[in-house]
Amino acid sequence: MFRLKITLFFLVLVLQLQGSEPYVDDALLSKIEGKYQLYAKNRFLYLQKTLDEFQNASDLQKLNAVNDFFNNVRYATDAKVYNTSDYWATPWEFLGKDIGDCEDYVISKYFALIYLGIDPKKLFFSYVKSIKFNTAHMVLTYFETPRSEPLVLDNYNLKIFPASQRNDLIPIYNFNGESLYKASANGNGKKVDNDKTHKKWDELKRNMKRQKI
Amino acid sequence: MTLFKQIAILLSLFLLIILGTVLTLNFKSANESISQRLYEDAKNTASSLSLSLGGANGDISMMTTMINANFDSGNYLLISLVDVDDAILYERVLESSYADVPAWFLELITLEAPIASANVSAGWNQVGILHVQSDLSYAYTELYSILKNLLISFSILVIIALGFLNLLLAAVLKPLKEVQKQAEAVIRNEFIIQKHIPSTKEFQDVVLGMNTMVSKVKVMFDIGNKELQQLKELEYIDPATKLKNRKYLIDKFPEYLKIDAVSKDGINMMLALSGITKANEQIGHEEVDALFVNLAKIFTDSVQVYNEAIVARMNGTEFAIFIPNCGEEEAKEIAKNIKSASQNVIEAHKLDIKCTFISIGIFEYNYRQNISKLLSLSDNALTQAKFCNSHIHYERAQNATEVMGKNAWRTIITEALGKDALSFVPYKVVNAGAKKVAHYALSLTLSSGEKRYSYGQFMAPANQLGLSNKVYQNVLNMLFKKTDPKLKNTTCSLRLSYEYLQETQSYHELSLLLKQYGMKLPLRLIIEMPDKFVRKNTKDIQEYKALFEKYKVDMGIYEFIGESQNYQYLQELLPLYIKAEANYFLTQNTQSLSALKLVTDSVGIILIASSVMDKETLEKLEEIDIHTIQGKVSEEITFND
Repeated sequence: MFRLKITLFFLVLVLQLQGSEPYVDDALLSKIEGKYQLYAKNRFLYLQKTLDEFQNASDLQKLNAVNDFFNNVRYATDAKVYNTSDYWATPWEFLGKDIGDCEDYVISKYFALIYLGIDPKKLFFSYVKSIKFNTAHMVLTYFETPRSEPLVLDNYNLKIFPASQRNDLIPIYNFNGESLYKASANGNGKKVDNDKTHKKWDELKRNMKRQKI
Repeated sequence: MTLFKQIAILLSLFLLIILGTVLTLNFKSANESISQRLYEDAKNTASSLSLSLGGANGDISMMTTMINANFDSGNYLLISLVDVDDAILYERVLESSYADVPAWFLELITLEAPIASANVSAGWNQVGILHVQSDLSYAYTELYSILKNLLISFSILVIIALGFLNLLLAAVLKPLKEVQKQAEAVIRNEFIIQKHIPSTKEFQDVVLGMNTMVSKVKVMFDIGNKELQQLKELEYIDPATKLKNRKYLIDKFPEYLKIDAVSKDGINMMLALSGITKANEQIGHEEVDALFVNLAKIFTDSVQVYNEAIVARMNGTEFAIFIPNCGEEEAKEIAKNIKSASQNVIEAHKLDIKCTFISIGIFEYNYRQNISKLLSLSDNALTQAKFCNSHIHYERAQNATEVMGKNAWRTIITEALGKDALSFVPYKVVNAGAKKVAHYALSLTLSSGEKRYSYGQFMAPANQLGLSNKVYQNVLNMLFKKTDPKLKNTTCSLRLSYEYLQETQSYHELSLLLKQYGMKLPLRLIIEMPDKFVRKNTKDIQEYKALFEKYKVDMGIYEFIGESQNYQYLQELLPLYIKAEANYFLTQNTQSLSALKLVTDSVGIILIASSVMDKETLEKLEEIDIHTIQGKVSEEITFND
């Protein structure tokens, strides 16, 4: 039953993100306005405008548009914004507050790209080490095919580059919640609680579901 | 089923259901928790192993080694690495799994080990997805151990809870037990006042209510008893001389004038004082009254060696001395002594013995005579005495011609006892109002060859020959050991004689028979005992009562004439019924009968009139509210069932 609910939720989400519905519906937009004032609402309206413009563009154009849009958001650590060491914010929290850390950029870019019709299997959350800043970092990677060299959507380096050109980053681990979910679902059928694939991803999905702003 | 059992069963069921539910929920929770743990373990392994595999930079052999190392060191059912096209790169599957649990447990509990997955990458490139599934054997063993511990702890809990419940119920319902005892006592017509008043409101009300009710019944009994005593004194005692009166003597006669009377004959002496009118003139009424008192003392003293003797004042100037088992010579001697002593007393009262003298008519009765004939012949003897010089006249009843001699009877009875030739004849005792049989009174017949002798025919010779106790022994053996099939499932009364009951051996015989056969007796038995034996309320009768209660035998009282000084014994012995001659009930005045009924009704004793020979008597008895009867009429009543 729970599996069905999750599937329906994502189906609705994907349909919404694919343009038949606005990226942020009016009700949610009102709530965002209520919480983060008019500027926040305007940011979402501007995002919607951007997304609408690239609805029929190529994958690369979509990647650039989304990457550029979100890289305009200010960077701050979770400790400063959320008073916790690590927090994966929903796109509504990130753009509502107009501030966030690397995971927040990745998440917002990920869902915006999915809204634009990018196949979720092509998008990975990549744990990397930033040599330049000597810190743990996360970027969104785009794989044209499973075996292609990925493109890196980063908030440190604002432009998109192929992974081979990102010598300032050491890849550690790629993660794609949707592929894990599908892998488990396509497994031997013995999976009992398929909303659990990755702790942080699972928590994010729950926050998304309840439209946490 | 008692209330205690009902509540105990309900609460036990409730407790078991609650504990069973808690046990099931606990086990289910443990099951889910273990499943969750299996997944978490698998997930942790998948995450950590996928990171390690990333370090292999896509080297399959290196990744295989890493997977093997993990698979061999942990409890996994499956570790599988698939590439980005879902093709298996490497897979390890547990070939055999052993869980140290019974087969039924494996069949009963279905466990599923979830598969955890993690992405594997080499640098920026994807290698594929790693799947990890934990081994279930560990989970089964763990779960079985949890189940065992749960069952043990719950069993202990159930035992403690049930024990506690039992104690709690016993404590809570303790007042109810006391109430129950009191209620049972009320059913048995016993008066128990509960001193301990329970604190539980409902029980308190019941106990107080029952105490009040029992107190009222007890007061009712006591009032009836006291009233009856006072009336008896007025009814049976001559107030001047304190001797018994004519009514008493007449009520007492049936005991001696019956076919199975132990004393077959005796003396009825009628004494009359002549010249009283003149004596009153000479010495005054008060002195004459004193003379009567002194004469009464002479009469009483003269027969004090005879236990059964009755001295009664028949009217103002006449007295009777009834002496069972007294012969002609003894009677004449007594009469002479009385006459001599009386003369002395008369003279002492300064009266002339030629004018004031006593006449004594001696009549030798036998048990075959009826009361009116005995009185008439006694009066006749007195009349004769008044006109003879000695003023003592002796007259003997005409002896009926004995069909058989004593020796012939001895032979017949002894042979019959040896051959078990006695058999029961049941006579109906009926409730004429309800037209129902109350019980059957068992009488006997004796068979000798082709001849059959009724109880009335053979019991008198048996008494005279001292064989009556043997007859009773034989009858009791017959009743208990070879119960007549016709008597099965009936209520029967068996009458035991005073003489038989007085023998110490009788109690032992009866208790032995009851011990051996009492519980198996296929009929409800009522043992009838004479009032003369019962009213003494001795240790013997208490033992009989205890014996009868133990074996659920009822007690009946016969030959009741209400001559006791106190009727407390009726309350203590609680006989099922009291049997008295119909004439006894019919000659009671209204007050006496009411008092008797108050006493018997308050403790649930039935009054039965015996010797009811005609419908007219029955009608008279019913008028005074006595409906249970025995006698010729009871055999003629048409019954409802």
